[in-house]
Amino acid sequence: MTDISHPGTAGRGIDRSRAIYWGVAALTTILVFGPITPIIFQAFLDKPLYDNTAVLTLGNFGRLFSEPGMAGIFFNTLYFGALTMVVAQVFGAVMAVLVGRTNLPGRKWLGEIFIWPLFVSNLVIAFGWFTMYGPSGFMTLAAKTYLGGAPWNLYTVTGMGIVAGLSQAPLTYLMCLAAVTKADPLLEDAARSTGAGPFRALFSVTIPMIRPAIIYSAVLNFVVGIEMLAIPLLFGGPSGIQTVTTFLYNAGINAAVRPEYGIVGAAAVILLVVVAFLVWLQGFLMKGAGRFVTVRGKASRPSTLDLGAWRWPAFLFVFAFAFLTIISIFGGIFMRSAVSFLTPLIPFWKVLTTANFEQVLGSATYVRSIVNSVLVATIGAAIGTFFILVIALVARRSDFKHSRALEYIALFPRALPGIIAGLGFFYAVIWLPGADVIRGTIAVLILAFMIRYIPVGFGAIAPALAQVGEELDRGARISGADWWTTMTRIIVPILKPALFSCYALLFIHFFKEYVTAAFLYQPGSEIIGTTMLQLVAQGDNGPVSALATIQVVITAAFVLLARRVMGARIYG
Amino acid sequence: MADLVLQNLTIKYGAVTAVDNLNIHVASGEFLTLLGPSGCGKSTSLFAVAGLNHATSGTISVGDRVLFDGNPNNTVPPEKRNIGLVFQSYALWPHKTVAENLAFPLTLRKIGRAERDERIKEALGLVEMLPYADRYPFELSGGQQQRVALARALVYRPPLLLLDEPLSNLDAKLRERARVWLRELQERLNVTTIYVTHDQAEALAVSDRIAVMSMGRMRQLGTPREIYERPADSFVADFIGSSNFFDGTMVESGTDSARIRLADGGEIVTPPGPTGKDGSVVVAIRPEKIELTGSTGPNTMRVSIEQRTYLGSVWQYAVRSGPIEFRIQTPSELKEDSILVRIPQEHCAVFPDKPGAN
Ligand SMILES: Nc1ncnc2c1ncn2[C@@H]1O[C@H](COP(=O)(O)OP(=O)(O)O)[C@@H](O)[C@H]1O
Ligand SMILES: [Mg+2]
Repeated sequence: MTDISHPGTAGRGIDRSRAIYWGVAALTTILVFGPITPIIFQAFLDKPLYDNTAVLTLGNFGRLFSEPGMAGIFFNTLYFGALTMVVAQVFGAVMAVLVGRTNLPGRKWLGEIFIWPLFVSNLVIAFGWFTMYGPSGFMTLAAKTYLGGAPWNLYTVTGMGIVAGLSQAPLTYLMCLAAVTKADPLLEDAARSTGAGPFRALFSVTIPMIRPAIIYSAVLNFVVGIEMLAIPLLFGGPSGIQTVTTFLYNAGINAAVRPEYGIVGAAAVILLVVVAFLVWLQGFLMKGAGRFVTVRGKASRPSTLDLGAWRWPAFLFVFAFAFLTIISIFGGIFMRSAVSFLTPLIPFWKVLTTANFEQVLGSATYVRSIVNSVLVATIGAAIGTFFILVIALVARRSDFKHSRALEYIALFPRALPGIIAGLGFFYAVIWLPGADVIRGTIAVLILAFMIRYIPVGFGAIAPALAQVGEELDRGARISGADWWTTMTRIIVPILKPALFSCYALLFIHFFKEYVTAAFLYQPGSEIIGTTMLQLVAQGDNGPVSALATIQVVITAAFVLLARRVMGARIYG
Repeated sequence: MADLVLQNLTIKYGAVTAVDNLNIHVASGEFLTLLGPSGCGKSTSLFAVAGLNHATSGTISVGDRVLFDGNPNNTVPPEKRNIGLVFQSYALWPHKTVAENLAFPLTLRKIGRAERDERIKEALGLVEMLPYADRYPFELSGGQQQRVALARALVYRPPLLLLDEPLSNLDAKLRERARVWLRELQERLNVTTIYVTHDQAEALAVSDRIAVMSMGRMRQLGTPREIYERPADSFVADFIGSSNFFDGTMVESGTDSARIRLADGGEIVTPPGPTGKDGSVVVAIRPEKIELTGSTGPNTMRVSIEQRTYLGSVWQYAVRSGPIEFRIQTPSELKEDSILVRIPQEHCAVFPDKPGAN
């Protein structure tokens, strides 16, 4: 056999792989720090960012703390976050163990119901709670009429915290379920063989194994609580209760009337620091906890614990939870959208109407917001998947010397609350030269959402990438392929299922997002979430419920399609 | 075809020196084996030649082409080295058929369709896998995957072939057949080959020369016979085949023989060799070289048999003379409890220390 020409001499041009490494690293850095930098500047400037006469100052922080009611706002935020976390953890973990490890009747369909809330925004959920359990909600009126009183009041910080906790329980449920079902049943069997009863075995072996999942989701839910907008806005607004998020929202929206840039910047920086600390704490607590118990382990069928006589009482408990906090919430939204007036006192069919949908579909603005939402989700998720894929490939599968730094930067948005991402992008498009062209378009929404959800997409791709042996890359390299060819021809085709999952997750997140868009949309670039926010503020509950229903229906259709056709794995 | 020259190749990972100052000249068409225990730096050396990891210093060149010389600007990336490499795990691309696996390197070299098909046929023919061209890797047995991996490494006719424990995932019988077949193929193609294995029998069977490595360093480079019969140090004597080691002290050292006192008080005559600082030495002798004898004389010892093991082709005995314990092998069974053995001078080797002492 004779030697054939070196592929290198064919002239593939200068090293394009390195160009891609640096290009992706630069783009990621600009996109992640682009919105944070102006906020930090603004926090330390005495005048608006774009005012050339502005000078550095610490005064904004002083003004922030001397603002009346500020201490209360911070206290509300922390209390609300903590309560959200505790309620979500208790219910989520209990449901996960009952559904994942016991012979609870109906555990299969109950488990399906538990993940519904993860597909929709907490704005929709909050509206559902308002419709059912608000002061003149369906359940509230029913309880008053038939039971003689409704002992709940959502318009307090405690009420809000419980609602937020119950609506976040599915997140805890999902993470603990993964841990609980992957836990090796042999260990439990071993405990039982040493004489422990089944409950004892469950508590002494299985529960400690899901501890990492509980710690992880606890911090996550605390963060979600702190940065949540919908529930404090809907329930705190009428009674004058504020959290940092609603403060930022109101101050930011009203900034045209009351120029409070400095204070807004200062509050945003404090929120950013707190969340960044929590995310760091999460990583710190997870260290040595076996990273994530969920990924390991064989797909062995976990043994189920026989509840015996407790089966039906347990079923009642779990079903009541699912019915009162999920089914009734979704049901309330659907019902509200189909009637002119939702009350248990008048028979349903007497108030049936299509007026809510007619109102939505008859308005160019509302229709446009639906179209925009679909566009942002379909196009944005595609661009996002591609961008995140390249980040993951450079961070995990290249010899780029800053690959670790790139991954840190790419994952930083975990610590970036939506409201701050929105505010930051709002500043950035004014501040960065040339960025003005995308102001008020859906392009800026796509960009902002994409940054915010890099970690979500990365989480879908990275584990799949880790499953692909490095020798496959090496084999391609030595066969004559440069890095980029190796990635596109060998690795990406193998990753296809994970890419579908990434696309589906991004689609769902982009489609339900509203907080990040609150400062960024303008007439013409509204999305369902921002339109709902506006309508909620006006008390226009009919069209809100119609929009929410449309959003849920489109999401459900997409999830079905993604699972059936693309085989995407979304939440289990 | 081309020579491969490694000069002062050193590869460090942080504080760990995986490969320490390796110097090897592999002649064109030669079959050279890197042999050593797991973790001694064989794969690291091989991958440095392929360009798949970063050497720290030294030079690597093939023919007149420098692949690595410590200057990052001169480092040739793996895809431009034109080297064939077979991985321990085969690393066949799971989403491509056998033919597509082979087509990939050819497409990258912009070889036209007709010639490409021709070459794929030829390479699959070489490894007797032609009927499997349209199968996916998961539809093949381990031995078949191994052959496809070899065909993929050969299809673009690289002047240099690297093999990283390619047979270690096969079962014992198949492994023995595969190594004969592999060597025949290599001779037919006359491709310069570096073969990595931790299996000394495999290395002895296939290689023109063997480089024995331990803890990142090359201990000896030579033909299988040289390595087996004249090990350079006690590590090699112990790792290749097996050896008995007798502690002793040098009594008298001449130009072609030495006298050594053993721990049981007796003396034996051996070839000369280096001694430790205090004059202590170890004498290495392979169990199968120790002879039974009928009469006392130089280098004979009376030993008692402590343990008998039947190994199929031979019997092995653990024997003792005073404090000295060692093993001998005989083709037939011994009934006696005490026998007279002779340690042939020409099969002894003298080293300053025991394996693992340095
Ligand atoms: N990427 C790496 N990072 C750190 N240490 C490594 C790396 N690759 C190899 N080593 C170390 O180098 C030594 C030699 O490894 P290797 O060449 O794989 O041994 P083997 O002879 O079994 O093929 C080992 O101690 C291993 O731990
Ligand atoms: Mg190895």
